Amino acid sequence: MTLSTDASALSTAMPPENASVEDAQRPKDYLPGDFNMWVFVLGDMIIFAIYFIIFMVERTRDRTLFLASQQHLYQTIGLINTLVLLTSSWCMARAVRATRSGNSVQALRLVIGAAFCGIAFIAIKVVEWSLEIHHGYTLPRNDFFTFYFMLTGVHLFHVVMGLVILGVVVRELRNPDLRRVSMVEAGATYWHMVDLLWIVLFALIYVMR
Amino acid sequence: MTVISTPATPTKAVDAQKYRRPGKLDQWICFWSVPIFFTLFGLIFVALTRVMPPPSPNLTTTQVLYFFHHHALTIKIGFTMLMVVVGFASWTNGLVATHMKRMSVGSVWAYGYIAALAVGAIPGCIFAAFAFLTAVFRPDRNPHVMVLLYDMGLLMFIGSLGCFAAQYLIFALAILLDKNKIFPKWLAYVTIWQVVTEGLAAPVFIFKHGPFAWNGAISFWQGTAIFVFWQVCLLYLLHRAIKDQPLGEAVQDI
Repeated sequence: MTLSTDASALSTAMPPENASVEDAQRPKDYLPGDFNMWVFVLGDMIIFAIYFIIFMVERTRDRTLFLASQQHLYQTIGLINTLVLLTSSWCMARAVRATRSGNSVQALRLVIGAAFCGIAFIAIKVVEWSLEIHHGYTLPRNDFFTFYFMLTGVHLFHVVMGLVILGVVVRELRNPDLRRVSMVEAGATYWHMVDLLWIVLFALIYVMR
Repeated sequence: MTVISTPATPTKAVDAQKYRRPGKLDQWICFWSVPIFFTLFGLIFVALTRVMPPPSPNLTTTQVLYFFHHHALTIKIGFTMLMVVVGFASWTNGLVATHMKRMSVGSVWAYGYIAALAVGAIPGCIFAAFAFLTAVFRPDRNPHVMVLLYDMGLLMFIGSLGCFAAQYLIFALAILLDKNKIFPKWLAYVTIWQVVTEGLAAPVFIFKHGPFAWNGAISFWQGTAIFVFWQVCLLYLLHRAIKDQPLGEAVQDI
Protein backbone atom coordinates (compact mmCIF):
# COMPACT_ATOMS: atom_id res chain seq x y z
CA MET A 1 0.00 0.00 0.00
CA THR A 2 2.60 2.52 1.04
CA LEU A 3 4.79 1.32 -1.81
CA SER A 4 2.19 2.11 -4.40
CA THR A 5 1.53 5.59 -2.99
CA ASP A 6 5.28 6.26 -2.91
CA ALA A 7 5.56 5.18 -6.52
CA SER A 8 2.73 7.41 -7.62
CA ALA A 9 4.18 10.33 -5.67
CA LEU A 10 7.50 9.95 -7.43
CA SER A 11 6.02 9.27 -10.83
CA THR A 12 5.86 12.99 -11.54
CA ALA A 13 9.64 13.26 -11.28
CA MET A 14 10.48 9.97 -13.00
CA PRO A 15 9.43 8.33 -16.26
CA PRO A 16 6.17 6.75 -15.15
CA GLU A 17 6.20 3.45 -17.05
CA ASN A 18 8.60 0.63 -16.22
CA ALA A 19 9.91 2.23 -13.03
CA SER A 20 10.53 -0.71 -10.72
CA VAL A 21 9.45 -0.82 -7.11
CA GLU A 22 13.01 -0.48 -5.80
CA ASP A 23 13.53 2.61 -7.93
CA ALA A 24 10.41 4.18 -6.53
CA GLN A 25 11.58 3.58 -2.97
CA ARG A 26 14.77 5.51 -3.49
CA PRO A 27 15.26 9.23 -2.95
CA LYS A 28 15.99 11.23 -6.07
CA ASP A 29 19.68 11.86 -5.47
CA TYR A 30 20.90 8.56 -4.04
CA LEU A 31 24.36 7.01 -4.36
CA PRO A 32 24.19 4.47 -7.21
CA GLY A 33 25.36 1.00 -6.25
CA ASP A 34 26.84 0.44 -2.87
CA PHE A 35 28.94 2.55 -0.47
CA ASN A 36 31.48 -0.25 0.07
CA MET A 37 32.08 -0.56 -3.66
CA TRP A 38 32.69 3.18 -3.91
CA VAL A 39 35.33 2.95 -1.17
CA PHE A 40 37.03 0.23 -3.21
CA VAL A 41 36.78 2.04 -6.54
CA LEU A 42 37.93 5.46 -5.29
CA GLY A 43 40.78 3.98 -3.23
CA ASP A 44 41.87 1.78 -6.11
CA MET A 45 41.94 4.80 -8.39
CA ILE A 46 44.23 6.61 -5.92
CA ILE A 47 46.52 3.56 -5.80
CA PHE A 48 46.66 3.37 -9.61
CA ALA A 49 47.25 7.13 -9.79
CA ILE A 50 50.36 6.62 -7.63
CA TYR A 51 51.56 3.81 -9.96
CA PHE A 52 51.10 6.14 -12.91
CA ILE A 53 52.98 8.98 -11.18
CA ILE A 54 55.88 6.64 -10.38
CA PHE A 55 55.84 5.46 -14.01
CA MET A 56 55.99 9.08 -15.20
CA VAL A 57 58.87 9.89 -12.86
CA GLU A 58 60.87 6.88 -14.08
CA ARG A 59 60.01 7.75 -17.68
CA THR A 60 61.33 11.28 -17.28
CA ARG A 61 64.61 9.86 -15.94
CA ASP A 62 65.18 7.68 -19.00
CA ARG A 63 63.07 9.12 -21.79
CA THR A 64 65.02 7.68 -24.71
CA LEU A 65 64.88 4.12 -23.37
CA PHE A 66 61.14 4.36 -22.67
CA LEU A 67 60.40 5.82 -26.11
CA ALA A 68 62.56 3.26 -27.91
CA SER A 69 61.00 0.37 -26.00
CA GLN A 70 57.49 1.66 -26.59
CA GLN A 71 58.08 1.09 -30.35
CA HIS A 72 58.02 -2.66 -29.67
CA LEU A 73 54.48 -2.65 -28.27
CA TYR A 74 51.52 -3.76 -30.38
CA GLN A 75 49.48 -0.60 -30.46
CA THR A 76 46.80 -2.13 -32.71
CA ILE A 77 46.22 -4.96 -30.25
CA GLY A 78 46.06 -2.39 -27.45
CA LEU A 79 43.53 -0.37 -29.42
CA ILE A 80 41.40 -3.46 -30.11
CA ASN A 81 41.43 -4.23 -26.39
CA THR A 82 40.38 -0.64 -25.64
CA LEU A 83 37.41 -1.04 -27.99
CA VAL A 84 36.55 -4.43 -26.42
CA LEU A 85 36.47 -2.87 -22.94
CA LEU A 86 34.50 0.17 -24.13
CA THR A 87 31.91 -2.16 -25.69
CA SER A 88 31.85 -4.09 -22.45
CA SER A 89 31.24 -0.92 -20.43
CA TRP A 90 28.49 0.09 -22.84
CA CYS A 91 26.78 -3.30 -22.31
CA MET A 92 27.04 -2.82 -18.55
CA ALA A 93 25.61 0.72 -18.70
CA ARG A 94 22.66 -0.60 -20.72
CA ALA A 95 22.26 -3.47 -18.25
CA VAL A 96 21.85 -0.93 -15.43
CA ARG A 97 19.16 0.91 -17.40
CA ALA A 98 17.41 -2.37 -18.21
CA THR A 99 17.45 -3.41 -14.54
CA ARG A 100 16.14 -0.03 -13.43
CA SER A 101 13.20 -0.38 -15.80
CA GLY A 102 12.53 -3.89 -14.51
CA ASN A 103 13.61 -5.73 -17.65
CA SER A 104 15.80 -8.32 -15.96
CA VAL A 105 15.92 -10.71 -18.93
CA GLN A 106 17.57 -8.10 -21.11
CA ALA A 107 19.77 -6.98 -18.21
CA LEU A 108 20.98 -10.55 -17.73
CA ARG A 109 21.83 -10.83 -21.41
CA LEU A 110 23.74 -7.55 -21.34
CA VAL A 111 25.76 -8.46 -18.24
CA ILE A 112 26.72 -11.78 -19.83
CA GLY A 113 27.71 -9.82 -22.95
CA ALA A 114 29.90 -7.54 -20.82
CA ALA A 115 31.51 -10.57 -19.19
CA PHE A 116 32.26 -12.14 -22.59
CA CYS A 117 33.99 -8.93 -23.64
CA GLY A 118 36.04 -9.21 -20.43
CA ILE A 119 37.05 -12.78 -21.30
CA ALA A 120 37.94 -11.61 -24.83
CA PHE A 121 40.11 -8.87 -23.29
CA ILE A 122 42.03 -11.46 -21.26
CA ALA A 123 42.48 -13.72 -24.30
CA ILE A 124 43.78 -10.83 -26.43
CA LYS A 125 46.10 -9.74 -23.63
CA VAL A 126 47.54 -13.24 -23.34
CA VAL A 127 48.21 -13.27 -27.11
CA GLU A 128 49.87 -9.85 -26.86
CA TRP A 129 52.07 -10.89 -23.93
CA SER A 130 53.04 -14.12 -25.71
CA LEU A 131 54.10 -12.13 -28.79
CA GLU A 132 56.23 -9.79 -26.67
CA ILE A 133 57.84 -12.64 -24.76
CA HIS A 134 58.40 -14.56 -28.01
CA HIS A 135 60.40 -11.59 -29.33
CA GLY A 136 62.49 -11.48 -26.17
CA TYR A 137 60.77 -8.51 -24.51
CA THR A 138 60.34 -10.02 -21.08
CA LEU A 139 59.78 -8.40 -17.68
CA PRO A 140 63.45 -8.02 -16.66
CA ARG A 141 64.51 -6.76 -20.12
CA ASN A 142 64.47 -3.10 -19.05
CA ASP A 143 62.59 -0.62 -16.83
CA PHE A 144 59.96 0.05 -19.48
CA PHE A 145 59.02 -3.60 -19.92
CA THR A 146 58.94 -4.11 -16.16
CA PHE A 147 56.32 -1.37 -15.94
CA TYR A 148 54.54 -2.71 -19.02
CA PHE A 149 54.14 -6.22 -17.60
CA MET A 150 53.51 -5.19 -13.99
CA LEU A 151 50.91 -2.49 -14.74
CA THR A 152 49.05 -4.47 -17.43
CA GLY A 153 49.30 -7.48 -15.07
CA VAL A 154 47.73 -5.63 -12.14
CA HIS A 155 45.04 -4.35 -14.48
CA LEU A 156 44.42 -7.89 -15.74
CA PHE A 157 43.99 -9.03 -12.13
CA HIS A 158 41.31 -6.34 -11.81
CA VAL A 159 39.61 -7.66 -14.96
CA VAL A 160 39.57 -11.16 -13.42
CA MET A 161 38.09 -9.76 -10.18
CA GLY A 162 35.56 -7.89 -12.34
CA LEU A 163 34.52 -11.17 -13.95
CA VAL A 164 33.94 -12.64 -10.48
CA ILE A 165 31.79 -9.59 -9.59
CA LEU A 166 29.87 -9.87 -12.89
CA GLY A 167 29.36 -13.57 -12.08
CA VAL A 168 27.75 -12.57 -8.77
CA VAL A 169 25.56 -10.03 -10.62
CA VAL A 170 24.44 -12.74 -13.08
CA ARG A 171 23.65 -15.09 -10.19
CA GLU A 172 21.55 -12.45 -8.45
CA LEU A 173 19.74 -11.39 -11.64
CA ARG A 174 18.73 -14.99 -12.31
CA ASN A 175 17.07 -15.34 -8.93
CA PRO A 176 13.97 -13.11 -8.53
CA ASP A 177 14.41 -13.15 -4.72
CA LEU A 178 17.94 -11.80 -4.88
CA ARG A 179 17.44 -9.32 -7.73
CA ARG A 180 18.54 -5.80 -6.70
CA VAL A 181 19.17 -2.70 -8.79
CA SER A 182 21.94 -1.65 -6.39
CA MET A 183 23.87 -4.87 -7.04
CA VAL A 184 23.89 -4.32 -10.81
CA GLU A 185 24.89 -0.69 -10.22
CA ALA A 186 27.74 -1.75 -7.93
CA GLY A 187 28.97 -4.23 -10.57
CA ALA A 188 28.77 -1.50 -13.21
CA THR A 189 30.67 0.95 -10.96
CA TYR A 190 33.52 -1.52 -10.66
CA TRP A 191 33.46 -2.50 -14.33
CA HIS A 192 33.58 1.12 -15.49
CA MET A 193 36.61 1.66 -13.24
CA VAL A 194 38.40 -1.26 -14.93
CA ASP A 195 37.62 0.40 -18.27
CA LEU A 196 38.72 3.86 -17.12
CA LEU A 197 42.00 2.54 -15.70
CA TRP A 198 42.72 0.73 -18.96
CA ILE A 199 42.17 3.90 -21.00
CA VAL A 200 44.66 5.85 -18.85
CA LEU A 201 47.08 2.91 -18.91
CA PHE A 202 46.78 2.59 -22.70
CA ALA A 203 47.37 6.31 -23.16
CA LEU A 204 50.41 6.40 -20.84
CA ILE A 205 52.19 3.20 -21.84
CA TYR A 206 51.22 2.63 -25.48
CA VAL A 207 50.49 6.02 -26.97
CA MET A 208 52.28 8.87 -25.15
CA ARG A 209 55.33 10.11 -27.04
CA MET B 1 16.45 -14.44 52.82
CA THR B 2 15.66 -10.85 53.60
CA VAL B 3 19.13 -9.84 52.54
CA ILE B 4 18.61 -11.28 49.08
CA SER B 5 15.27 -9.65 48.54
CA THR B 6 16.60 -6.18 49.39
CA PRO B 7 17.20 -4.27 46.16
CA ALA B 8 20.89 -3.57 45.57
CA THR B 9 22.07 0.02 45.38
CA PRO B 10 22.67 1.28 41.80
CA THR B 11 26.48 1.37 42.11
CA LYS B 12 26.58 -2.19 43.35
CA ALA B 13 24.45 -3.32 40.38
CA VAL B 14 26.87 -1.68 37.93
CA ASP B 15 29.83 -3.31 39.68
CA ALA B 16 28.18 -6.69 39.49
CA GLN B 17 27.56 -6.17 35.77
CA LYS B 18 31.20 -5.31 35.24
CA TYR B 19 32.33 -8.61 36.68
CA ARG B 20 29.67 -10.61 34.83
CA ARG B 21 31.22 -10.08 31.44
CA PRO B 22 32.36 -13.41 30.08
CA GLY B 23 34.41 -13.32 26.90
CA LYS B 24 35.08 -9.60 26.79
CA LEU B 25 37.91 -8.88 29.21
CA ASP B 26 40.09 -11.49 27.51
CA GLN B 27 39.34 -9.91 24.14
CA TRP B 28 40.21 -6.44 25.39
CA ILE B 29 43.54 -7.72 26.73
CA CYS B 30 44.25 -9.18 23.27
CA PHE B 31 43.11 -5.98 21.61
CA TRP B 32 45.30 -3.64 23.63
CA SER B 33 48.28 -5.92 23.16
CA VAL B 34 48.19 -4.96 19.47
CA PRO B 35 49.25 -1.30 19.74
CA ILE B 36 51.87 -2.24 22.36
CA PHE B 37 53.48 -4.87 20.15
CA PHE B 38 53.24 -2.77 17.01
CA THR B 39 55.12 -0.03 18.85
CA LEU B 40 57.76 -2.59 19.81
CA PHE B 41 57.92 -3.95 16.25
CA GLY B 42 58.32 -0.40 14.96
CA LEU B 43 61.13 0.23 17.42
CA ILE B 44 62.85 -3.03 16.44
CA PHE B 45 62.52 -2.76 12.66
CA VAL B 46 62.85 0.99 12.14
CA ALA B 47 65.04 2.33 14.95
CA LEU B 48 67.23 -0.61 15.94
CA THR B 49 67.84 -3.09 13.13
CA ARG B 50 67.37 -0.59 10.25
CA VAL B 51 65.55 -3.02 7.96
CA MET B 52 62.62 -0.61 7.59
CA PRO B 53 63.03 1.24 5.32
CA PRO B 54 65.32 -1.45 3.91
CA PRO B 55 68.90 -0.63 2.96
CA SER B 56 69.67 -0.74 -0.76
CA PRO B 57 69.99 -4.08 -2.63
CA ASN B 58 72.66 -2.38 -4.72
CA LEU B 59 75.44 -2.19 -2.09
CA THR B 60 79.04 -3.26 -2.72
CA THR B 61 80.65 -5.90 -0.49
CA THR B 62 82.45 -3.15 1.47
CA GLN B 63 79.20 -1.29 2.02
CA VAL B 64 77.47 -4.45 3.26
CA LEU B 65 80.34 -5.09 5.70
CA TYR B 66 80.11 -1.46 6.84
CA PHE B 67 76.34 -1.84 7.35
CA PHE B 68 76.77 -4.88 9.61
CA HIS B 69 79.73 -3.40 11.53
CA HIS B 70 78.01 -0.07 11.99
CA HIS B 71 74.70 -1.56 13.19
CA ALA B 72 76.00 -4.73 14.91
CA LEU B 73 74.99 -3.71 18.42
CA THR B 74 71.50 -2.44 17.51
CA ILE B 75 70.86 -5.49 15.30
CA LYS B 76 71.75 -7.74 18.25
CA ILE B 77 69.54 -5.81 20.67
CA GLY B 78 66.67 -5.43 18.19
CA PHE B 79 66.45 -8.94 16.85
CA THR B 80 67.00 -10.50 20.28
CA MET B 81 64.05 -8.43 21.46
CA LEU B 82 62.13 -9.68 18.43
CA MET B 83 62.85 -13.30 19.36
CA VAL B 84 61.24 -12.60 22.74
CA VAL B 85 58.15 -10.74 21.54
CA VAL B 86 57.47 -12.11 18.04
CA GLY B 87 55.11 -14.78 19.36
CA PHE B 88 52.75 -12.15 20.66
CA ALA B 89 51.77 -11.29 17.09
CA SER B 90 49.72 -14.46 17.22
CA TRP B 91 47.55 -12.82 19.87
CA THR B 92 46.24 -10.35 17.29
CA ASN B 93 45.73 -13.11 14.77
CA GLY B 94 43.84 -15.12 17.36
CA LEU B 95 41.58 -12.14 17.98
CA VAL B 96 40.86 -11.73 14.25
CA ALA B 97 40.24 -15.48 13.98
CA THR B 98 37.78 -15.35 16.90
CA HIS B 99 35.73 -12.77 15.03
CA MET B 100 36.03 -14.76 11.81
CA LYS B 101 34.50 -17.71 13.67
CA ARG B 102 31.53 -15.49 14.52
CA MET B 103 30.87 -15.07 10.79
CA SER B 104 28.28 -17.13 8.96
CA VAL B 105 31.07 -18.82 6.99
CA GLY B 106 32.66 -21.95 8.45
CA SER B 107 35.56 -21.87 10.92
CA VAL B 108 37.80 -23.25 8.18
CA TRP B 109 38.38 -19.65 7.07
CA ALA B 110 39.64 -18.69 10.52
CA TYR B 111 42.00 -21.69 10.57
CA GLY B 112 43.22 -20.83 7.08
CA TYR B 113 43.90 -17.26 8.21
CA ILE B 114 45.96 -18.36 11.23
CA ALA B 115 47.85 -21.06 9.33
CA ALA B 116 48.79 -18.73 6.45
CA LEU B 117 50.10 -16.10 8.88
CA ALA B 118 52.00 -18.63 10.96
CA VAL B 119 53.76 -20.07 7.91
CA GLY B 120 54.38 -16.59 6.45
CA ALA B 121 55.98 -15.31 9.65
CA ILE B 122 58.68 -18.01 9.64
CA PRO B 123 60.62 -16.73 6.60
CA GLY B 124 59.20 -13.19 6.68
CA CYS B 125 60.14 -12.41 10.26
CA ILE B 126 62.05 -15.14 12.08
CA PHE B 127 64.46 -16.39 9.36
CA ALA B 128 65.18 -12.83 8.28
CA ALA B 129 66.13 -11.96 11.85
CA PHE B 130 68.28 -15.11 12.15
CA ALA B 131 70.16 -14.22 8.96
CA PHE B 132 71.06 -10.81 10.40
CA LEU B 133 71.85 -12.21 13.86
CA THR B 134 74.13 -14.83 12.27
CA ALA B 135 75.91 -12.13 10.27
CA VAL B 136 76.72 -10.00 13.30
CA PHE B 137 77.58 -13.05 15.46
CA ARG B 138 80.96 -13.47 13.68
CA PRO B 139 81.73 -10.15 11.97
CA ASP B 140 85.16 -11.40 10.81
CA ARG B 141 83.57 -14.01 8.57
CA ASN B 142 84.31 -14.24 4.82
CA PRO B 143 82.85 -11.03 3.23
CA HIS B 144 81.01 -13.05 0.56
CA VAL B 145 79.18 -14.95 3.27
CA MET B 146 78.22 -11.63 4.86
CA VAL B 147 76.74 -10.48 1.52
CA LEU B 148 74.88 -13.80 1.28
CA LEU B 149 73.35 -13.30 4.75
CA TYR B 150 72.48 -9.69 3.90
CA ASP B 151 70.68 -10.70 0.69
CA MET B 152 68.96 -13.69 2.27
CA GLY B 153 67.80 -11.67 5.27
CA LEU B 154 66.28 -8.89 3.23
CA LEU B 155 64.85 -11.11 0.47
CA MET B 156 63.08 -13.19 3.10
CA PHE B 157 61.93 -10.09 4.97
CA ILE B 158 60.42 -8.32 1.94
CA GLY B 159 59.89 -11.23 -0.43
CA SER B 160 57.80 -13.75 1.52
CA LEU B 161 54.60 -12.89 -0.26
CA GLY B 162 52.55 -15.97 -0.97
CA CYS B 163 51.36 -16.83 2.52
CA PHE B 164 50.45 -13.23 3.27
CA ALA B 165 48.60 -12.86 -0.05
CA ALA B 166 46.68 -16.05 0.84
CA GLN B 167 45.91 -14.72 4.33
CA TYR B 168 44.52 -11.45 2.90
CA LEU B 169 42.49 -13.28 0.28
CA ILE B 170 41.01 -15.64 2.89
CA PHE B 171 40.10 -12.69 5.12
CA ALA B 172 38.57 -10.69 2.25
CA LEU B 173 36.48 -13.61 0.96
CA ALA B 174 35.30 -14.49 4.46
CA ILE B 175 34.06 -10.91 4.99
CA LEU B 176 32.34 -10.86 1.58
CA LEU B 177 30.60 -14.20 2.17
CA ASP B 178 29.65 -13.46 5.79
CA LYS B 179 25.99 -12.77 6.46
CA ASN B 180 26.38 -11.85 10.14
CA LYS B 181 27.98 -8.49 9.22
CA ILE B 182 30.88 -8.86 11.67
CA PHE B 183 32.99 -6.51 9.53
CA PRO B 184 31.74 -4.05 6.88
CA LYS B 185 32.26 -5.14 3.28
CA TRP B 186 34.61 -2.27 2.52
CA LEU B 187 37.21 -3.86 4.78
CA ALA B 188 37.18 -6.82 2.37
CA TYR B 189 37.97 -4.49 -0.52
CA VAL B 190 40.74 -2.72 1.41
CA THR B 191 42.12 -6.20 2.14
CA ILE B 192 42.09 -6.99 -1.60
CA TRP B 193 44.43 -4.01 -2.14
CA GLN B 194 46.82 -5.85 0.15
CA VAL B 195 46.70 -8.92 -2.12
CA VAL B 196 47.56 -6.65 -5.06
CA THR B 197 50.47 -4.97 -3.26
CA GLU B 198 51.89 -8.37 -2.29
CA GLY B 199 51.79 -9.30 -5.98
CA LEU B 200 53.52 -6.09 -6.97
CA ALA B 201 56.39 -6.87 -4.61
CA ALA B 202 57.14 -10.09 -6.51
CA PRO B 203 59.87 -8.52 -8.74
CA VAL B 204 62.12 -7.91 -5.67
CA PHE B 205 63.85 -11.15 -6.64
CA ILE B 206 64.91 -9.64 -9.97
CA PHE B 207 65.83 -5.98 -9.50
CA LYS B 208 68.62 -4.26 -7.60
CA HIS B 209 67.37 -0.73 -8.25
CA GLY B 210 64.25 1.15 -9.30
CA PRO B 211 60.64 1.09 -8.05
CA PHE B 212 60.40 -2.72 -8.04
CA ALA B 213 63.57 -3.39 -6.02
CA TRP B 214 63.15 -4.40 -2.35
CA ASN B 215 63.51 -0.76 -1.26
CA GLY B 216 61.58 0.60 -4.26
CA ALA B 217 58.72 3.09 -4.42
CA ILE B 218 56.17 0.46 -5.47
CA SER B 219 57.51 -2.73 -3.88
CA PHE B 220 58.24 -1.21 -0.48
CA TRP B 221 56.90 2.32 0.08
CA GLN B 222 53.48 2.07 -1.52
CA GLY B 223 52.96 -1.43 -0.15
CA THR B 224 53.87 -0.29 3.37
CA ALA B 225 51.60 2.77 3.16
CA ILE B 226 48.64 0.59 2.16
CA PHE B 227 49.54 -1.92 4.90
CA VAL B 228 49.50 0.79 7.57
CA PHE B 229 46.13 2.04 6.29
CA TRP B 230 44.76 -1.53 6.36
CA GLN B 231 46.09 -2.12 9.87
CA VAL B 232 44.47 1.07 11.18
CA CYS B 233 41.13 0.12 9.58
CA LEU B 234 41.39 -3.41 11.01
CA LEU B 235 42.12 -2.13 14.54
CA TYR B 236 39.22 0.31 14.43
CA LEU B 237 36.80 -2.31 13.13
CA LEU B 238 38.05 -4.99 15.55
CA HIS B 239 37.38 -2.55 18.39
CA ARG B 240 33.86 -2.05 17.07
CA ALA B 241 33.32 -5.79 16.55
CA ILE B 242 34.31 -6.58 20.16
CA LYS B 243 32.11 -3.77 21.48
CA ASP B 244 29.10 -4.87 19.42
CA GLN B 245 29.43 -8.58 20.20
CA PRO B 246 26.44 -9.68 22.29
CA LEU B 247 27.39 -11.02 25.71
CA GLY B 248 27.33 -14.77 25.97
CA GLU B 249 27.07 -15.20 22.19
CA ALA B 250 27.59 -18.80 21.13
CA VAL B 251 30.46 -19.14 18.65
CA GLN B 252 30.44 -22.12 16.29
CA ASP B 253 33.27 -24.57 16.57
CA ILE B 254 33.21 -26.74 13.49
